[in-house]
Amino acid sequence: MLKYHFDWSIITSGKYFEWLVSGLKITLELSAVGIVGAFVLGLVIAVLKMSNFKPLRWLASVYLEFFRNTPLLIQIFFWYFGSYKILPTAVNEWLNNTNFEFAAAAIALIIYTSAFIAEDIRSGILSIPKEQMEAARSAGFSFLRSMQYIILPQAVRITIPPLVNQFLNLAKNSSLAMTIGVMELTYQARQVESYSFKGFEAFTAATVVYLALSVSITFLMDLYNKKVLNPQRS
Amino acid sequence: MIQFQNVHKWFKTLHVLNDVNLHVKQGEVVVVCGPSGSGKSTLIRTINKLEPINEGHLTVDGMDLLSKKTDLNRLRAEVGFVFQQFNLYPHLSVLSNITLAPTKIRKTPKKEAEEQAMQLLERVGLAMKRDAYPTQLSGGQQQRVAIARALAMKPRIMLFDEPTSALDPEMIGEVLQVMQDLAKTGMTMVVVTHEMGFAREVADRVVFMDHGVILEEAQPEEFFLNPQHDRAKQFLKQLLSPMH
Ligand SMILES: Nc1ncnc2c1ncn2[C@@H]1O[C@H](COP(=O)(O)OP(=O)(O)OP(=O)(O)O)[C@@H](O)[C@H]1O
Ligand SMILES: [Mg+2]
Repeated sequence: MLKYHFDWSIITSGKYFEWLVSGLKITLELSAVGIVGAFVLGLVIAVLKMSNFKPLRWLASVYLEFFRNTPLLIQIFFWYFGSYKILPTAVNEWLNNTNFEFAAAAIALIIYTSAFIAEDIRSGILSIPKEQMEAARSAGFSFLRSMQYIILPQAVRITIPPLVNQFLNLAKNSSLAMTIGVMELTYQARQVESYSFKGFEAFTAATVVYLALSVSITFLMDLYNKKVLNPQRS
Repeated sequence: MIQFQNVHKWFKTLHVLNDVNLHVKQGEVVVVCGPSGSGKSTLIRTINKLEPINEGHLTVDGMDLLSKKTDLNRLRAEVGFVFQQFNLYPHLSVLSNITLAPTKIRKTPKKEAEEQAMQLLERVGLAMKRDAYPTQLSGGQQQRVAIARALAMKPRIMLFDEPTSALDPEMIGEVLQVMQDLAKTGMTMVVVTHEMGFAREVADRVVFMDHGVILEEAQPEEFFLNPQHDRAKQFLKQLLSPMH
């Protein structure tokens, strides 16, 4: 017989509740910073990969292969334990004055996810008829301006479903930040468990919150797609 | 305005432009015709350097297209291009399609650009479509918007590559009418088309190409009534035959 005594009250109010809420706040921050950063960086890498200057294309390829094909956890450890050895002192000092764990986790998440996002956006760009680029160039737009005003807005629209996937992955992957001491949701759920021995309640709560976060991201992207990107279809 | 001197171009081993000489003066309307694959599109696309030439000289509005110093984007802003497939920006409304380049390249204030866009839309008879999206328009309407979009940059030259070939027959007239009106304003135009009615009424000169060579260059009446070259005779016969 199961002798476990469920007690949900400890996580719905009081000290442990506050821990979980503070963890959620950091998870939200990390996800938001990560999503914005990874999206912007992904756009840049995708455009570099399309450049007609060979060294830039090559650089983008190396970036993509490298960061997509190494484990995220190793990348987080690298930025946390290894980066200060290669970064200039000034940068290190600045990082130490900010929240270093958070910064290392955010950088790792941004770079790792940007590689996947760049590939998705690139296939989006490739599916835009080449006549669009010709029309833009004929009007007098430079390559980069053509990308900015004509190609990328169209490419991003058709990339929305895979982008949502990458954003969800990022939000979920943010839990790995606990390994370097970022006090996000998973970290706090562990804390609650080790202080209260109420592991089932703590991790159930965390699971529900991650689920809610994922559903919210999907919902918001859907709304954005309908209301902002494709107003003519609604 | 546009001057080709001994221009050659190759796609790999294919000689698509073979010693082309052509001079288009300001305000002139030149129609280019010829069989499929003869190099008409390539010729017109070299004028705004969508295709670079390999040999010879090409100057457009005083700019040398072979010179490294020529600012390509500036050249292209002065030359409007209208495509067979319209190529409107599908993610933008009709109005934004027209105002995008003027506001971003010419730095025209948004309000002013919109007023000018509305005037152009009046001119092509589509003012009521300002907020529509390209997919909501017929082919003829899309092409008229594309012409308005090109004119919004106040170009000195307008190029048309088979602007009516992708249209249903009943829509060809509305587009040709807009082009004819444009010609009357004194615009310099190079038009690739097989619309011989348009050539006859509007063109100052007709250029006939075959296999990358300009075989004939004549006034419309002369070209239609008395073509010199066998290939031109054959081409006209096919074009005018009821089987076509
Ligand atoms: N980018 C390219 N690469 C290789 N060959 C090309 C390219 N563009 C055109 N060609 C070839 O060059 C020749 C001339 O093409 P072009 O499009 O200028 O002919 P056209 O007179 O416009 O024909 P159409 O009436 O079919 O439009 C054709 O044989 C075509 O297959
Ligand atoms: Mg052609």
